[in-house]
Amino acid sequence: MSNSKSSLTFKIFALLVLNDLGDTLAQLLMKKGLLQTGISSVTFGNILEFCARNSSSLILWLGIIVQALNFFIWIVILYKVDLSIAMPAGSTSYIFIPLAASVFLHEHVSLLRWAGIVLIALGIHFVSQSKKPEVPESRIC
Amino acid sequence: MLKIMFLVILAEIFTAVGQVLLKKSANEAESYNLSRLDAHAMFLKDVLSNPALWCGFGAMALGLLFWIIALAQGDLSLVFSLGSMQYIIILFAAHIFLGEKIDRMKFIGTLLVVFGIVIITLSH
Repeated sequence: MSNSKSSLTFKIFALLVLNDLGDTLAQLLMKKGLLQTGISSVTFGNILEFCARNSSSLILWLGIIVQALNFFIWIVILYKVDLSIAMPAGSTSYIFIPLAASVFLHEHVSLLRWAGIVLIALGIHFVSQSKKPEVPESRIC
Repeated sequence: MLKIMFLVILAEIFTAVGQVLLKKSANEAESYNLSRLDAHAMFLKDVLSNPALWCGFGAMALGLLFWIIALAQGDLSLVFSLGSMQYIIILFAAHIFLGEKIDRMKFIGTLLVVFGIVIITLSH
């Protein structure tokens, strides 16, 4: 991915992985924050109380801040590569999360899932080999 | 089933429109040398002052709303495997609205990612 003919440089790929990790972290924080309110189902009757309790949840706000920082990484990525390259190449969490779960948590990953992971990795490799678009010199990092 | 499909496709169209508008705001930004740290702040100010970016946020918020409604219908593996269609919709949306080229490698790669996600979501 780091060769000069590829449209996806190592630096951009690293940003894509960082963006994906940031997204996962933000989702976890927001989910944890929402669970802490102790309200299991939202109805028209308790929606105001639900919002009030959540607005003071530090962990939920942390998730929102991570999400906002993540937006900045994404827009920098979009500044440098095609949307149609950034989008599929950004699906690295499908690879790294089961891989980490398998290595660090010794979770069982089924053969079918491994097959899916290999397909995604191949797909990202193919997309990264797509022709380099014409970009102004100043935008190449 | 048909209702879920309709909701997911609606969510995907709004999300695709949002991403295209985000990319448009990045394309319309001036030239910045982003290997310099202070250039990042100027770049951010540039894109944040573009109405296309805020329209993009609005479209993505609507997409998220339809996505949540689809998730609330239950059938999670159906919703998530249909969700992988997003990559194909964005591939064509970027081609039509942004003029991004679709070459053979990009097309095959995107299809492989979509198949991979479908296999993973159906393996649960």
